[in-house]
Amino acid sequence: MVGLYRYPPEVNVRRFIGEIIYALSGAIGMLAFIYPFFLSNQANDSIGIAHGQDAALVTTALVGLALIALLVELQGQAISAKTVAVLGVMVAITSVLRFIEVAIPMPGGFSPVFAPIILSSYVFGGRFGFLMGTFTMLVSALITGGVGPWLPYQMFTAGWIGMTAGWLSRVMPHTPRTRPSKRWLPRTHRHRPLTIIVLSVFGFIWGLAYGMIINLYFWPFAIGPIQQAWTLGTSLGETLVRYTAFYVATSLGWDLIRAVGNMVLILLLCAPTVRALARFQRRFHFEVRSVDA
Amino acid sequence: MLDARGWLLWALVALVAASSTRNPLYVVLLLLIAMIVGGVCAGDRDRRAIMSPLRFAVVAIPLAALFNGLTAHLGDTVLFHLPDWLPLVGGSVTLEALIFGAMNGLTLTTIFSGFTTFNRVTPLRDLVRLTPRAFHEAGVVLSIALTFIPQTTRSLNRIREAQAVRGHRVRGLRDWLPIVVPFLISGLERSMGLAEAMVSRGYGAISDQAQPPRTQRLLVLGLFLLLAGWLALLFLPTWKGIAVGVMILGAGIIVGVVWLAGRTVSHTAYRIHHWTARDTFAALGCGLTLAVILLPLPLMDRGTLYYSPYPRLTLPPFDLFIGLGLLGLVVPAVIGAAHRVDQT
Amino acid sequence: MIHFDHLTYTYPDAPYATLTELTLDIAEGEFVLVAGPSGAGKSTLLRCLNGLVPHFTGGILNGSISVAGLDPVIEGPRLLSRIAGFVFQDPEAQFVVDRVEDEVAFALENAGLPPADMRVRVEEVLHVLDLTPLRDRELETLSGGEKQRVAIAAALALRPRVLVLDEPTSQLDPQSAQEVLGALVRLNRDLGLTIILAEHRLERVLSHIDRLICLPGPDKPVLSGPPGPVLHQMDLTPPLIALGKELGWEPLPLTIERGQAFAKETVAALGFQASGQNPNPEPLKPETLLQVKDLSFDYDGTPALHDISLTVGAGELVAMMGRNGSGKTTLLRCIVGLLSPRQGEILLEGESLVGQETADICCDIGYLPQEPDALLFADTIADELAVTLRNHGLVDSPPIAPADLLARLGLDDLTTSYPRDLSVGQRQRVALGAVTITRPRLLLLDEPTRGMDYPAKRELVRLLREWQAEGTGVLLVTHDVELVAQAADWVVVLDQGEVVAAGPSATVLTASPLLVPQVARLFPGTGWLTVDDALTGLNFDPA
Repeated sequence: MVGLYRYPPEVNVRRFIGEIIYALSGAIGMLAFIYPFFLSNQANDSIGIAHGQDAALVTTALVGLALIALLVELQGQAISAKTVAVLGVMVAITSVLRFIEVAIPMPGGFSPVFAPIILSSYVFGGRFGFLMGTFTMLVSALITGGVGPWLPYQMFTAGWIGMTAGWLSRVMPHTPRTRPSKRWLPRTHRHRPLTIIVLSVFGFIWGLAYGMIINLYFWPFAIGPIQQAWTLGTSLGETLVRYTAFYVATSLGWDLIRAVGNMVLILLLCAPTVRALARFQRRFHFEVRSVDA
Repeated sequence: MLDARGWLLWALVALVAASSTRNPLYVVLLLLIAMIVGGVCAGDRDRRAIMSPLRFAVVAIPLAALFNGLTAHLGDTVLFHLPDWLPLVGGSVTLEALIFGAMNGLTLTTIFSGFTTFNRVTPLRDLVRLTPRAFHEAGVVLSIALTFIPQTTRSLNRIREAQAVRGHRVRGLRDWLPIVVPFLISGLERSMGLAEAMVSRGYGAISDQAQPPRTQRLLVLGLFLLLAGWLALLFLPTWKGIAVGVMILGAGIIVGVVWLAGRTVSHTAYRIHHWTARDTFAALGCGLTLAVILLPLPLMDRGTLYYSPYPRLTLPPFDLFIGLGLLGLVVPAVIGAAHRVDQT
Repeated sequence: MIHFDHLTYTYPDAPYATLTELTLDIAEGEFVLVAGPSGAGKSTLLRCLNGLVPHFTGGILNGSISVAGLDPVIEGPRLLSRIAGFVFQDPEAQFVVDRVEDEVAFALENAGLPPADMRVRVEEVLHVLDLTPLRDRELETLSGGEKQRVAIAAALALRPRVLVLDEPTSQLDPQSAQEVLGALVRLNRDLGLTIILAEHRLERVLSHIDRLICLPGPDKPVLSGPPGPVLHQMDLTPPLIALGKELGWEPLPLTIERGQAFAKETVAALGFQASGQNPNPEPLKPETLLQVKDLSFDYDGTPALHDISLTVGAGELVAMMGRNGSGKTTLLRCIVGLLSPRQGEILLEGESLVGQETADICCDIGYLPQEPDALLFADTIADELAVTLRNHGLVDSPPIAPADLLARLGLDDLTTSYPRDLSVGQRQRVALGAVTITRPRLLLLDEPTRGMDYPAKRELVRLLREWQAEGTGVLLVTHDVELVAQAADWVVVLDQGEVVAAGPSATVLTASPLLVPQVARLFPGTGWLTVDDALTGLNFDPA
């Protein structure tokens, strides 16, 4: 039984709707990201003082719902046993890295978790990548005892890191798109240096962005409601300034180290890892597709 | 001892409670409750783990106090004055601002403590079993990952030794490549063997995997409503009630979809945790706390929840009834202690 | 009950078909053994039975199969799981959860059985395989044999009518293998379960099987029938059978007991007198290459090795045997520097190795670990050799020319292949190449014949003899008595970290009932260990 290469129209409609779901949940995520800046617009009523923390809870719940919706969508399209097994193993390997990060004091926010997520998603695609990112955060939180209200945010963001890395592969494919014909011919894919550079810059950007997102989530919990004066609300501008101060003071250093760490890891690991993963994909005909042949 | 679902409820209620009040007396009470429950109900008598919230507090409270004191220039009791030309920190540093910051740190500590307790009292496997039926595949992925993790260290060691045997020395970062790459490859090959074994035992059929199109469309609707309601809440303040309603509808649809998706899954569960009377007691306690926090019940002065040190520092008030309501969260500790007494 | 009709199957991207026009019948209740060299299609055949081929593997399949009335190609593995249970080779790579009971219930959960039914079935299956005392244990803590029994239990949970096993004992030591095979025999006898088993070590099961299927390889016909006739047509067989065929014993004895009766007859007929003398003269002890003196090692305080002393001479092959956990691998790792002994001395040609780094030691010692796959990661075989050379800084002046070494290993036409795509025997030879490219004086081999078929084993023995002729010493750790009988000059037996026996192979092997090779059991008191010994000793002329 050979896999289908022409998708019937129902499958195309499904994919389209699937992409709408990605877009909507991504929008909810982005809104959650900038929501605290809008808290100053809220009316100052009797429950206003505690509002900042409510906002954090509400945001968590909303991000959680968006995450759940995305997971239902991704799972709804036939995850085969192969995908489940590969996901399980990759998540295990990456979670162990996170465990090391917690056990051995690493400089700043360096986390060895993101490089494997980005590289695997690049090879196996966005859907795999989202699931890998999400479950890695969940499993590593479980084994390091780090389950907390920040978990939905971490899962959501790490999932999107995977998803976007997968989108990169549509733009910059890692192998030529022809089916290999003979098994014993030499397979040496010269890795274009451009791919490596693009991936490491990608890792750098996400290293910073991840920190900013998680930090922004954490901020209302940490700093309390925006309005500290009980008569006047503060303006958007001042909120922005305060947040920048908070960010620089607490997070920027951490995030820079994480970003640079990602970049270095990807520069180092990219070529051999992608080669190994791509070869594995070929040998075992492992594809994350809607219809499993 | 208690069902994992009950513990999740407990943790969420603790989170909501700690986030909903600024009154340091209530927050300290919650912190003590979390630590007591953790100490009594966790399987291991790890003194370090019991005291870890205090270690967290020692770092978080002063830092938060300092940060807020330096950046917020409100309040009446001025301690000292920094030159105004300094960006952001310029201005008067007041006692109220420091105390407010300290209160933030205290809240953080309490939230941290609540979740630390949750982590310690629920065994890993039980948490995995919490995954709803719609996410059955996710549950299997988690199971596989948790089962595979102990094998990874052995695999790594084996490979490290194998490479040492052909002369490989680990001197720099680059030298980890000949260890990482075979580790990855062997893990992937093993996953294929695992997939074969799973398929041979009946895992996964084409027929029950793809969700009906209805699921997808409902998801789109639910997400759309959620997003629209939220945007309305932000930008159209007059329609606040409708906006909140729309959001709740959207959330309900998404939860409904999860339930629907669960119904098409034909897998059953071997180990079912039965919800016992103990779990009901604990849940009732959580319910009591939640009610006290969220609902305007008679006999209680809800204003005490919204304590603020501004503009002038005063002693925080305390309402006995609210305090008693918060004690609903300590029920698991009572159950745990009674259980232990039974066993001896 | 099982019927193959002109089945032809080609793997995706394969140049030729793995199974060609295969036609076979298997009746209900039979205990079937599938034999043949690696790569001949045994695994493929087995996987056809439950639909893994072609649903899991892809590829092109022609012809038809029928298993208990169902067609696996049409129905797929999920439905077939209720008819045919499958057990795989690697006990570790089959488990999804961490507890015995839950693992057994996995198949039942997938089938959507109600919890009450599940409980009944789990109890039943645990009882049948004697796993009830182990039910709450974590799978990690079980031995290999126990793990395979759990895998069998998991496959049986759905009450299939056929149980298919793909080399279930090849990763296990002899005791565990006996455990598993004993369980299978009981299942077949007491429950009437049809069992189809692929196995290399034919001697373990020959006496229990009803049918033997042999897949000799491409272009040769598949043999199927009662064991006796099929064995006659097979090339490589256990010593008992090989001897029986040569000496014309009819019907072929399948157990040692029956063979002993024939042996007595033959001895009487040929008028041979067991002289009681050892035909192999005691070998002169060659110059010492490796000397281990009073070595002791502790694992976290518990003694693992206690005052071990042994020597390996140049050109000598010393076999180290003993039960699992007796310290054999520990000793090898101490020699190579992966572990530091508490006390004792290890001398290679007079120089002490204690305290040196493994990477340095391995320039002079070639160590082949139990799992040679852990070594392989390069893109081609030639690259694997190059990696070792680079590690030792010998790229410009390799002690052996890589091309020569590859030719000697029989891999010269595969120079650009991806190592992990090759067969078990070939991968092992690549790993051997990777550790011998530095022309070591001493070779340490840890269980090299696990899961290898007879041709590959023969090949290995030939290679070792070549190296021995050049003066290389070999220390071989193995459970395989026949291998030791063929290849070893000197045997050392360890038990619980101590040397309990050491001497020439003929002496040591015949001294303990657990270590006696088949030929020695057939002809006790003669000192013969291999088929060749017996044929020469009897002055038998095959004409």
